[in-house]
Amino acid sequence: MTAKQDFLKCSSDVYNYYGTKPGKEIQAREVKKTPTQRVEKERQMYFETKSSASVEFPYWYTRRWEETEGDVPIIRRAEALKAGFEHLTPSVIPGELLAMRKANYMRGSYPMPWLSEAFFLSKEDDLYKEAQKAGKASADEVTTMGQGGGNVTKSAGNVISIAGKFGLRKEEMPILLKTAKKWFNKSVDDVGHKYEQLVPDYNTKEEIMRAVICMFDSGYTLPQGREVMNYYYPLQYGIEGIKNICKEKQNQSAGYTGMDRLYFYKAVYTMLEGLQTWIMNYAREALFMASLEKNKLQKKEFKDIAERLEWLSKNSPRTFHDALQLIWIFHVAVLNEDAISGLSPGRLGQVLYPFWKQDMEKGIIDKEKTLELLECMRMKFTELDCFASMGVVGGVLSGNTFNNLCVGGLDKYGNSAANELEMLILESAMSCDTPQPTLSMLYDEKLPEDFLLKGIECTKIGTGYPAWVNNRVAMEFLLNNFKKEGMQLEEARAWAIGGCLETSPGSWMPLELNGETYYIPGGSAPATSVGVHFISLPKVLEAVLFDGLDKRTGRRVYPAHGSKLDSYEEIWTIFKRYFSITVEVLTLTNNIQHDIWGKVSPSIINSMLKPDCLEAGKDISHKGCRYNRTFNVEICGGVNLVNSLASIKKNIFDAKNFTLQKLKAAIEANFGYLSALETGSYSLIEQVKTKNYMDWLKIHKLCLDAPKYGNDDKYVDTIFKEWQQWFSKMCENYRSLYDEPMYSCQISVSTHAPMGAVTLATPDGRLCGTTFADGSVSAYPGTDINGPYALFNSATCYDHALSQNSQLNMKIHPSVVKGREGSRKFLEMIRAYLRKGAFHAQFNIVDSRMLHDAQKNPEKYRGLMVRVAGFTQYWVELGKQIQDEVIARTEYEQI
Amino acid sequence: MIKLKKMKHFDCKYYLNTDVFKGICKRDKNKINADDSACNNFEKAQKCKYCSNFTLTDSELGTCMTKYDAYPEMNAITCNDFK
Repeated sequence: MTAKQDFLKCSSDVYNYYGTKPGKEIQAREVKKTPTQRVEKERQMYFETKSSASVEFPYWYTRRWEETEGDVPIIRRAEALKAGFEHLTPSVIPGELLAMRKANYMRGSYPMPWLSEAFFLSKEDDLYKEAQKAGKASADEVTTMGQGGGNVTKSAGNVISIAGKFGLRKEEMPILLKTAKKWFNKSVDDVGHKYEQLVPDYNTKEEIMRAVICMFDSGYTLPQGREVMNYYYPLQYGIEGIKNICKEKQNQSAGYTGMDRLYFYKAVYTMLEGLQTWIMNYAREALFMASLEKNKLQKKEFKDIAERLEWLSKNSPRTFHDALQLIWIFHVAVLNEDAISGLSPGRLGQVLYPFWKQDMEKGIIDKEKTLELLECMRMKFTELDCFASMGVVGGVLSGNTFNNLCVGGLDKYGNSAANELEMLILESAMSCDTPQPTLSMLYDEKLPEDFLLKGIECTKIGTGYPAWVNNRVAMEFLLNNFKKEGMQLEEARAWAIGGCLETSPGSWMPLELNGETYYIPGGSAPATSVGVHFISLPKVLEAVLFDGLDKRTGRRVYPAHGSKLDSYEEIWTIFKRYFSITVEVLTLTNNIQHDIWGKVSPSIINSMLKPDCLEAGKDISHKGCRYNRTFNVEICGGVNLVNSLASIKKNIFDAKNFTLQKLKAAIEANFGYLSALETGSYSLIEQVKTKNYMDWLKIHKLCLDAPKYGNDDKYVDTIFKEWQQWFSKMCENYRSLYDEPMYSCQISVSTHAPMGAVTLATPDGRLCGTTFADGSVSAYPGTDINGPYALFNSATCYDHALSQNSQLNMKIHPSVVKGREGSRKFLEMIRAYLRKGAFHAQFNIVDSRMLHDAQKNPEKYRGLMVRVAGFTQYWVELGKQIQDEVIARTEYEQI
Repeated sequence: MIKLKKMKHFDCKYYLNTDVFKGICKRDKNKINADDSACNNFEKAQKCKYCSNFTLTDSELGTCMTKYDAYPEMNAITCNDFK
């Protein structure tokens, strides 16, 4: 290293990623790579950095919002956003090649009281009590937040901990509270709540929320996200170019019918002015940093950043580096618009390829430099935090932001879309193994073998990505659901994963560069996962068994059915009735919330980016996107439901081993064990018996021995298939805000932990408070005893294209996939599963003993990552509920 | 006149915060804690509390141009009305 490069050296102790001194018995992962020194230094800084919240954006947003009272809502929104962006304090960290961030901290974020402000009010406040009454805070109460890593779990010194996750400077709390109160009765949450109460069966919704049968409302918590970004317009036209389009369209719409177009274009124009100032503030800060810098190389890098930002504040990108920077700017800009999780960059390697190809041909860049830039990009995505309530951040997201980058798939013409840049993206995900962006391999039989093996190499490092996703199943789902809106086969190929695993429609946009036209893919739909968020199926079954009551609180959730439940069919029928009541009332209340979101706080930045909003002059909430059938019904705990139904059918009605009354008594006695909430351990293993254990031993054993999903057992798989087919079909009976039928979505994210925490023991033998099975087709930990191929047969007993997704997690011991032969065997196993019509599989390649060691000695494992359910997260930032569940998962020692 | 003894890195023009607890000195790139005492190179950061448009109304809050709520520790580096 030359003296000039000294600024890139790591000065602190380097964290180890797989344990500093793993015991001899622990099998390490096979592949270990490291990023460039520059990126390693940034990663070490990241490890030492805490999640930090600030108030400047909400302060300026609110100030401007109040100033513009009386103006058209979308114009007020644009003015408020503009003020927020213009006043963000720029922060340029030495060594970084990509500049700009969400807020003025490395892991910065901020509250968005225009969505919901109740969170910041004291418990004595009337509004807080109102929120409690509506059951909104119930999910927060049963969520555990990770105790390590960057989480600020406790207040200390001049820093206040919020939600056990974010630190806020004490000096900022008074103005935050004052700002939050200004949104009382004005936020999306409050206005939506006012009108959702007009739904006739609204009280049932409150009881459902209080019982944590549903995890959270979607309209004001995370109104956007679980979607794929579209970077076409900035890449093609640059900011000034888009402003010109707006100006032209504004002139065409002023005074003509459909005046909303005028306000939309004016809003986009205003917002872009704000972005320009924001970018230029960073450029000036970079120049200031350069003025202080003595190291020539670092000084030049600061100046380069300034020059690049100044150029991009007006123009379209000239180079790959420019394009990557511009993409990052717009990605952050959208994230600053709303509380968002799952804003996926999509098929970024294909979007950026034209610029990269140009630079490679001109000799402007080489693979080494590309790799470093991609590693820098990974750090940028990893720095992202989403500020929301504890129930959302901890209980659903596990602190993750779900920026899914897809590789592979097909191009517009049906050929493999894999390219060399995507190979480097996979390489950078190995050399800079950080949680974000997570990767998904859009598997298609047309993808080249070396590309697939590169994906395998990456999966083997144990970070859980890429997830393997079936291109053909996704296309079939899209064509089934978006045909009415004009989707053809060609456009179905432009899809990508939004968020952790939400199949999202895309489109091909014609990027012109150097006289050539490249059709680049990008998202063309709004959030693909809003609507009914996470219904706990085992909890609904609990209500069936106990005549509509939530046994944890003793409150009535559903109307009493009064049935003796004297047949399996009767139980199944009442389950369907209760589930339908749940979907119906949540659909209606969430429709209202989203309608209010669109009226009070419409998306401007994301709307501008999504085809065909800019063409049509309509924002997302006015169906400006090309595809709008995007509301869904999400469930959790499906496998525990199915296993429970199988146990009831077998033990009570077929074998008549015991009566339903006896089972209910056993459930209330938790089969003679303490509850997980008492033991603090959330997996079925490591539970503590009570003195009454022997009273329930026989019945518990019979429940555990009942047929279990994941073993290619027709008895239980038939129930699973019936549930799947009914569920997907019934979703279509409910209509979204946009008057489109809903569809089913089957991801658990982290909800299987808090939802398990509030659920009694279940008829499958699962104990009270323990975590449900993850995903949708993962077996309950320890119950899949017939090997992976039996699990695959069970998982594919129904048509996966009926649903937006399915989700399978597997844990495999590193020795099983060791070496080249192991890689091929691994690929063949994945292939076999996907060829059966499966949608998705993802893997933790890890020795479970390492996870045990990491739980005992977290300080040794700051960099250890695991796959949870659709996302990868640092072990130390996961709550104990999820840690226990990941440890308990079946570990395959042979495939 | 600013009394250096009471000044913290947090109040300095050269303080680059990386999180709520700590940051980097923009001049020498050393890691520093936000609440530690400032060094001899201290120069006050552009904050509302140093702006003539700001009036303190209680210990933690104030007004900007007599009409907007404001708070003394707010960064004003991006504020066009700072004077």
